[in-house]
Amino acid sequence: MKRDFKTRWLGSRAILDSRVFYFLPLLALFVPLLTNPYTQFVINLMLVYVLIAVGFNIVLGNLGQLAFTSTTCFGIGAYTTAIAMASLTLPFWIALLAGAAMGALAGLFASITALRGIRLYYLAIITLAFGELMRWVYIHADAVTRGTDGLPLPPAAFFGLSIDSEIKRFYLFLAITTLMVKGTSNLLRSRIGRAVVAIKDNEFATASLGIPTAHYIVLAFVWSGLVIGIAGGMFALLIGRVVPESFDLTALIFHFAMVMAGGLGNLAGSVLGAMLLTTMPEFLRSFPGIEEALFGILLVIVILLRPSGLASLLAGHLPMFRQRFYRER
Amino acid sequence: MEARLFYQLIISGIAQGAIYALVALSLTVVYRGTTIVNFGHGDFVMAGAFVAYAFVVLYGVPFVVAAVIALALLFALGFAMERGLIEPIKAGPHISFAMMTIAVGYVLRGIARAEWGREVLPMPRVFDLPPIFIGNVVITGDAIAFIGVVALSLGVFFLVLYATRTGQIVQAVYQSERGAALVGVNVRAFHSVIWGVGAAMGAVAGLLLAPVTLLYPDLGANFLIRGFAAMTLGGFGSLSGAVVGGILLGVAEQLLGAYVSTKLIDIAAYLVIIAVLVLRPTGLLGRIAVVRV
Amino acid sequence: MSPLLELSDVSVHFAGLRALTNVSLQAKPGEVKAVIGPNGAGKTTLFNAITGYLQPTSGQIRFRGQDISGLPPHLISVRGIRRTFQNGGLFGEITVLENILCGLHSQTNSGFFGLLFGTRAAAAAERQAVAQARSLLELMGIGDLEDRQARDLSGGEQRIVEITRAISTDPPLLLLDEPAVGLTPPARDHLIDVIRRLAGERGVSVLLVEHSIDMVMKGSDVIAVLNGGQKIAEGPPDEIRRNKEVLDAYLGYA
Repeated sequence: MKRDFKTRWLGSRAILDSRVFYFLPLLALFVPLLTNPYTQFVINLMLVYVLIAVGFNIVLGNLGQLAFTSTTCFGIGAYTTAIAMASLTLPFWIALLAGAAMGALAGLFASITALRGIRLYYLAIITLAFGELMRWVYIHADAVTRGTDGLPLPPAAFFGLSIDSEIKRFYLFLAITTLMVKGTSNLLRSRIGRAVVAIKDNEFATASLGIPTAHYIVLAFVWSGLVIGIAGGMFALLIGRVVPESFDLTALIFHFAMVMAGGLGNLAGSVLGAMLLTTMPEFLRSFPGIEEALFGILLVIVILLRPSGLASLLAGHLPMFRQRFYRER
Repeated sequence: MEARLFYQLIISGIAQGAIYALVALSLTVVYRGTTIVNFGHGDFVMAGAFVAYAFVVLYGVPFVVAAVIALALLFALGFAMERGLIEPIKAGPHISFAMMTIAVGYVLRGIARAEWGREVLPMPRVFDLPPIFIGNVVITGDAIAFIGVVALSLGVFFLVLYATRTGQIVQAVYQSERGAALVGVNVRAFHSVIWGVGAAMGAVAGLLLAPVTLLYPDLGANFLIRGFAAMTLGGFGSLSGAVVGGILLGVAEQLLGAYVSTKLIDIAAYLVIIAVLVLRPTGLLGRIAVVRV
Repeated sequence: MSPLLELSDVSVHFAGLRALTNVSLQAKPGEVKAVIGPNGAGKTTLFNAITGYLQPTSGQIRFRGQDISGLPPHLISVRGIRRTFQNGGLFGEITVLENILCGLHSQTNSGFFGLLFGTRAAAAAERQAVAQARSLLELMGIGDLEDRQARDLSGGEQRIVEITRAISTDPPLLLLDEPAVGLTPPARDHLIDVIRRLAGERGVSVLLVEHSIDMVMKGSDVIAVLNGGQKIAEGPPDEIRRNKEVLDAYLGYA
């Protein structure tokens, strides 16, 4: 593929490739100039959901396993962070790392199930069961988790600077999300990402190329859990109080929807899908039930018309939405 | 005293388990026929209950008529769903089916919630059967109704399956779709019909629940999970396994709840799923194998 | 000099099915050996046993003098045995270049942390793999297919890509499972040419399962014939062509 100066910078197609993603966070630095605390909150929430979608897509889209692990890892990450701060009085950044570690551990357990040969609907059901089991634990282990009342977080500080406003949270979340998304992209566009999608496509052939499939299945689940776990920790900080309800089946459906809307296996798609779906409910805050029904109908339409998500719709015009598994530079 | 409690628990377990058996069976019927698990099936159960409720309470229709309407409506819903939403995407990954069925369930729940708000609704009692006493163990009227209706449904189902020509066609498609197509079975129509049947069977479960339990839009999720647990315990994909699993699950819930802790009733299903898939993935009467590279 | 691959009295028996019985076979560098036989003769079982997807019930499989019979497929592959699959093992959802890169996986030195943090070493290893993949595609004459989605290729193109992927690590032994199925005669001839060059110019030992007798006669140096799980004959094409038992096995099948 020859690339000369003209094509690279003057050809309109080539401009919007993945390098755009380096500029977006820089532009985003100016966002707080345009927002009030409420819209800022929504944007912060959006950053959390971007991480969930990106993490969940690794298992759902790239590895192609029907594993309902998002709420499990999200909840474990959130509660771990909250408990670390509330009961163990650890600083936020350590609590967040703990949340990440626990999320990764949850991913590890899920991968062990997959490795034992449990696939497709069995895997879906067991991960679903495990998620609901965790929610039961959050409700009933109320000595530690404060049950349905919710576990409040003590005031958080990031290396001395107190994170007490939406704007401060925004910058922190922006940094974390950007780093994690970039890290995930690095992994995806490398031999690791290639191995994972190869396994999804044809596990037997993958093994014949000298690729240890078990290794990469575990890696995909663990990284996914880690990313979603971090999202959980961020969520805990954002909301200020962790309740079991946030990790129920409705939440799972939402996570699932973000990934599907963006496009299975497409990183840029998940970012977009998360951004769209978090801002949309704001328009649908009408009557209870209508919102749900409309959301469901929308999903149905999306699946019927474009099961490969927004990314596939945009990829024709915007190369950055075409998922590649190697880097040119 | 001890023995009496034990038998009482068994009886209520079987009664409750009968519902689970029905839900699990209807899930399996659809799964065997189309290799798709309907993640919105719990909401079909709920829809059946709500339709009955609407017609009885709002329009003053006698229960039996409402039941028939509910069955017909749910059959139509299942049929239409397969025709319009599942069949067109059949070339896609299973994840799409999962999402589609979940989305439809979500829509049903939204409609239910919009129509009836967040209240939990009572319905006038329909079965007023006198309880039966065996020694000093009571079988309540409700239990009789549950077990009776489910037993009857199962009886009809298995009779049709094994003793009629229609049933033979169903068995043929279950064993080999391609083979059945080759001998002239209209597989496409079969798919739609079997979805309708599955939905209607789910509606039966809903109809049993309606007069007895408090209805709320989210009740489907509970029954879906229990249906899965029953299927897993009995052996995923096995028809008789679904029934056996359902009843065992019902009994297990009651026993765990009484002898260990009432908190466990909620999660008995999850524990069963995890235990079975970890220890013996094929379940009790299982057929489907597990993947290994 | 000991052969590259040596099967000694290998049997693969399942419950009730004797897929292979006491098969002994060798593969030498630079030699193209075809394995033929009627359906169900055990050819694919043989390949699966050699590449680790099946374990022999008895007998030994030695590669470069070492016993490989218990190893999992990916370890056998790393030792130098690569294969293609009967139903096409290409990864349809990704591009041709990405497929070749998958083939180079075991030789690409980019580790998890290096990739995650974007170290120069990892990036260099990845770039090198991309360059290597590209030159390999050029060498095989399919450089222009680089950016195509693998599933969009024609049958013949897919075969060549799959073979290119398999040889990307310069394996001394290559197993091709029915590579000519569904190919047009010109594509077939091209395939024979590619295989001959691999063996002749690069010294690769090729084991080839094929149904097309024609292809096998033109393309191989030695032919081994299996029937009912046993090897019934082995020799140069001319000999096999005239072998009575072989003719019986095939004609008796019609």
